[in-house]
Amino acid sequence: MGKALSWLLGGRRPLASHLLLAPAAGWLIVFLLVPAAGLALLSLAKNGAYGQVIWTFGLHNYRRAFDAKYLPVLLRTFAFAGGTTALCLLLGYPLAYYLSFRAGRWRNALLIGLMVPFWTSALVAFYSWMIILGKEGLLNAALLRFGFISAPIGILYTPFSVLLGLVYFYLPFTVLPLYASLEKVPRSVVEAAYDLGAGRWTAFLKVTLPLSLPGVMAGGLLTFVPCLGDFLTAELLGGPRFYLLGNLISNQFLMAQDWPFGAALTCLLLIGLIGGLWVYRRWEAEDA
Amino acid sequence: MKRSRGMGLYCAGLYAFLYLPLGVMTAFSFNDAHRNVVWRGFTFKWYRVLFADAELMRSMLTSLELAAAAAAIAAVLGLLASYALTRHKAFAGRRAYSALLDAPLMMPEVALGVGLLSFLVRAGYELDFGALACAHALICLPYTVGSVRARLKSMGEEHLEEAAMDLGATEWTAFVKVTLPLAMPAVVSGCLLAFTVSFEDFVTSFFLAGIGIVTMPIKVYSMMKFGVTPEINALSVLLLAATALLLALNAVFASGPDEASRA
Amino acid sequence: MPEVSRRDFLKAAFLLPAMPSLLGACRRSDSRRVVNFYNWSNYIGKDTLPDFTKRTGVEVRYDLFADEDEMFAKIRAGARGYDLIVIGDFLIPRFKALNLIDPVPADTLKNQGNLAPRFRRAAYDPDETAVPYLWGTTGIAYNKKRLTKPPTSWWDLWDPRYKDRISMLDNVRDCVGVALQLLDIPQTTRDPEDFRKARELLIKQKPLVKQYSSSSYLNSLVAGEIDLAMTWSGDLFQAARDNPDLDYCLPREGTYMWVDCLALMRGSRHREDALRLIDYLLEPEVAANIANAVRYATPNEKATPLVDKALRKDPRVYPTPQVLSKLKLHDVLDPEQSELWNQTWADVKVA
Repeated sequence: MGKALSWLLGGRRPLASHLLLAPAAGWLIVFLLVPAAGLALLSLAKNGAYGQVIWTFGLHNYRRAFDAKYLPVLLRTFAFAGGTTALCLLLGYPLAYYLSFRAGRWRNALLIGLMVPFWTSALVAFYSWMIILGKEGLLNAALLRFGFISAPIGILYTPFSVLLGLVYFYLPFTVLPLYASLEKVPRSVVEAAYDLGAGRWTAFLKVTLPLSLPGVMAGGLLTFVPCLGDFLTAELLGGPRFYLLGNLISNQFLMAQDWPFGAALTCLLLIGLIGGLWVYRRWEAEDA
Repeated sequence: MKRSRGMGLYCAGLYAFLYLPLGVMTAFSFNDAHRNVVWRGFTFKWYRVLFADAELMRSMLTSLELAAAAAAIAAVLGLLASYALTRHKAFAGRRAYSALLDAPLMMPEVALGVGLLSFLVRAGYELDFGALACAHALICLPYTVGSVRARLKSMGEEHLEEAAMDLGATEWTAFVKVTLPLAMPAVVSGCLLAFTVSFEDFVTSFFLAGIGIVTMPIKVYSMMKFGVTPEINALSVLLLAATALLLALNAVFASGPDEASRA
Repeated sequence: MPEVSRRDFLKAAFLLPAMPSLLGACRRSDSRRVVNFYNWSNYIGKDTLPDFTKRTGVEVRYDLFADEDEMFAKIRAGARGYDLIVIGDFLIPRFKALNLIDPVPADTLKNQGNLAPRFRRAAYDPDETAVPYLWGTTGIAYNKKRLTKPPTSWWDLWDPRYKDRISMLDNVRDCVGVALQLLDIPQTTRDPEDFRKARELLIKQKPLVKQYSSSSYLNSLVAGEIDLAMTWSGDLFQAARDNPDLDYCLPREGTYMWVDCLALMRGSRHREDALRLIDYLLEPEVAANIANAVRYATPNEKATPLVDKALRKDPRVYPTPQVLSKLKLHDVLDPEQSELWNQTWADVKVA
């Protein structure tokens, strides 16, 4: 028994590696790839009476997806996902830096504190934001009280509220990888920079920042990718003018009852993401 | 260290941003109004209402069980996979595996829900708790893998297992005595992330929930027509308090060995 | 060694697809008599189902949806096991076409005669496959305090003065239906030009609209985030309990009524008990209690006199005969027409 396990763990034969990976890979194949293949097949089918699927195959759904009317949705989605990612990185980097370099014994508590807000249901958090941002909400009340505004302003259902919601939900997913990569920056190298007379900023710009770039990429990806498919935020905090790709896809399945088209849009999104990741991995591999 | 005060303040500000909605939620769980809009005075009544609401309590239990099951599966699968990816020498298909492990992150949730549901139905499978737990384990997997793999990778640079094996330990002993304890914090934090992801999930759950399986988010969503009631706020507050307590206990008991492992 | 592991691997490979059932087995409950009932949230009386269980010993497993489209998508994707489901008149032809429901056998329900004649053999369901449960109207909700004069017409939802204070139901039937109505186009049209006009009308309104929503807008109304909304009657009356400034108007152009029906899911394993539950819901006292709780009108003629007087006499809930004559049911659309409707609405959302 012990010998078998050691053989598995030792991994001197590829078979051992495959076996260790088999449960996870099997899980992904059964519960993700097979359904995804089903969707890919569905994307080639036709939408029939009352949304029944007609199994005649063609690329018509893909041709439809390239209609100019969907271009604004795509651009808007990239703008929001990009904006969110940029904001999360900008806001999150100092926090991750603080956690890694300055927090000392508070580090673990602070790290956990970062996750705790997500133990409440997203919907409950959304509703709390509505109480804060609403016309008769806390923020308006405060602004009125201190005389910054003379009448309540509409904050909900604006680009601001959508961006705020997205940043709120994805910030920890940016900060944690950032923190992980900052942790790996060898302290000795930073010290060496100081010893060589570098100022704080120079040391940061020349040493710490470049060494933490993998974390920036990882954190950015972990934010950007889910943002592209997010639809709840835009639905709850955005208005009709913030229709994003995620909304477009989910509406095909839920409202328009046009599953083949929804499947085609999903496949295009996946192709885009996989392509993007592949380029990124190539870049990463060359860099390393 | 003086310079860090400004940064500390900045971080406090960010935490305030993250905790602001929670504060509002907590405050409004004591609000003597039917609806979370205006403040009408202090009351404990929603906590009483909450404990009397068997359905809501049951949905919370369902969500907890579900998240625990999903996190446990994802942790085991993630640990095995991460070990092979970080400890084994290069083998054909390694890139494919690691790409595959990130894949659930990319799938739009509605598409995953519809695709999985259609697949399970076609496979003749009747939806139940198990199906939901499997789907949740799937969406949790990237998070456990991400966390554990990063830890194993950084540990690998310290060659601790090799040292153990040089001293005569088998791979298995080295795994049990060295790798596992040192990777534990990452496994735990991966589990926490996974637990959170599962506990929050609405879309996948909606599609895959069989009859009578009502998770918290499904319940909350169905109540959403008339807004989240103070009762739900009260429940969230209690959950949060329980979490905080658990984490605090964990921190107290786990801080020793964790500090040791860093040194 | 590799051989053993390979066999283990195969074993694992076989076990994997069975995982869901293995996990599920741990939680499977016993098999008492149950009916699985899938209904809108906030759409039943508080004691309706417990009383049924007390009387018959049949347990009701009651699941909720907050959005008809989501429910339909889930059922279409193959979710099975529900015995009884509540669906709108608009969905009945679809459910029939997709073979999702079984007809309620004629003469099995002793209380079916309690239904008003108007609700029997209606155009959407000539063979009485389903049983009417509640009905209501689509109209305009508004905040009395915030508007200088109450709305009277659908066109008020197009009034630029109300920019950013309007919400529309996120629903094909209601939005495209109203657009066609305002353009004097019959619902049964299949002229693309008509749909282009309807689309343009709705897109013209879009800059004024703060929310397309069929549920969370009620919260926004109560919170004063919006002041004018296309709404379903009873939902608004329920919301008005929390904000007495809210009122409801039936537009002068006339509007549509709709009927939500109880339907037996195909393949139901508890047909007898499901039918018994339907029959129970048709009892006058039971139906009246539901109507009181949810503030929609009951199609149950025998139940109407038992409904709270304030509600029964409220012309917004039970319109006067004169208004009632102007209320229409949505036309039954064939697949081609409903595709045109769906496309129109999808294009409005994207625009």
